[in-house]
Amino acid sequence: MKAGGSPRGRALAERAAYVEASLWRRLRFENETHCRERLFSRFLTLARALAHREFGRRPPQGLDRGDFEQWAYGGLLEAIDAYDPLRGAAFGAFARHRIRGSIADGAAQASEANAHHAFRSRVEKERLSSVRARGGEDRDDPIRELGDLAAAIAVGLVIETPAPPLSGGYETQAWRDLQLTLEREIERLPDTEGAVIRHHYLAGVSFAQIAQLLGLTKGRISQLHRSALGRIRARLRPDD
Amino acid sequence: MSIYCPDETLQTLVREFQQSQTSLDHQLERVDALLLAYPEDARLHFMRGSTLAGLGRLIEAHQGLSRAVALAPEFAIARFQLGFFQLTSGEADAALDTWGRLDRLDDGHYLRKFVDGLRCLVRDDIQGAVALLRDGVALNQENPPLNHDMQLLADRLIELAPNPGNAAADPNVSETSLILRQFTRPLSKNGDAP
Repeated sequence: MKAGGSPRGRALAERAAYVEASLWRRLRFENETHCRERLFSRFLTLARALAHREFGRRPPQGLDRGDFEQWAYGGLLEAIDAYDPLRGAAFGAFARHRIRGSIADGAAQASEANAHHAFRSRVEKERLSSVRARGGEDRDDPIRELGDLAAAIAVGLVIETPAPPLSGGYETQAWRDLQLTLEREIERLPDTEGAVIRHHYLAGVSFAQIAQLLGLTKGRISQLHRSALGRIRARLRPDD
Repeated sequence: MSIYCPDETLQTLVREFQQSQTSLDHQLERVDALLLAYPEDARLHFMRGSTLAGLGRLIEAHQGLSRAVALAPEFAIARFQLGFFQLTSGEADAALDTWGRLDRLDDGHYLRKFVDGLRCLVRDDIQGAVALLRDGVALNQENPPLNHDMQLLADRLIELAPNPGNAAADPNVSETSLILRQFTRPLSKNGDAP
């Protein structure tokens, strides 16, 4: 599932190298920190491709593809922070080296215990703790809390699953319609909440890495995640 | 001593560059040497920016063009090129701001036509953009390389222009959306979409 706005006339005049240079200039010299996230999104495909390639080249040892992606994203973040755009080297080549190094370090450090807590279970735990972190009166309403948890699981499932298992044509179309509705709701979210949801669900980036990317604390990312899910849920709820 | 580089020196330099007698690296050295003597000359900063753009050093190119406009706000071609650089860089709002002052030029000035055409492009008015870019090309007798760039852009827009029948089928879809759909379809088919 891909998020993004409709194409615009200005896109016809844009040139990729110029757009990338502009992002580096604004990030490094004009303090426009949001450009960091745009650069991350721009090179996400490269990081993921390297993660998949490295995953395919190594024995699994209890690790899943998601672990490799996390190490790759970590390497990409490090590369963005270390890169000097005035030195002339292309960022892609620079980042490739860092990403591979990060994957190699991660794989080397992965212990037997870590292998049993692979990415998928960690990420689900992270999401659910975010939703459960709500304090005050809601904690006294177990039914509502259960509803929130179910909504969080459902949003993740719909966004991440191409089609429901064992489904026919009608179900697949209904699922796709639901995905499109969710996609539109994600587009309507406030910028930072939208960035959290897109990076986490569409690209599989962990809360810790999104925190690093946006220059916020992990706790704040968790709050934004909760708030975004609440907003989506409220908008999708039929009028009483 | 004047703070501006003598016109004759600049003209000689431009002639050399136009005749491709020097590499871009060497051109940059020549401009930088003159800038040591005339750091306030906007024309030299403009030349530096253009040369750096040719070398792919785009961050410094932007700096050169911006410096030229800051030093000489009425330097119309530098202002136009800075705005075009910004548009190409995905900074359409900055481009519109930069071009604002060019509205003081006569209505019939070729730069006005180019700017108005590019403003149409930003608004998704492709037909308007093509018409105004062509008007600008017809009016511009003093800057052939710029005509070449604008003509290329107009040609590209025409090449990607939507089939009128398709446009009528869905009035909610902008012209640009249709253009991009036609542009991306064959790429997706081959599996090599960007």
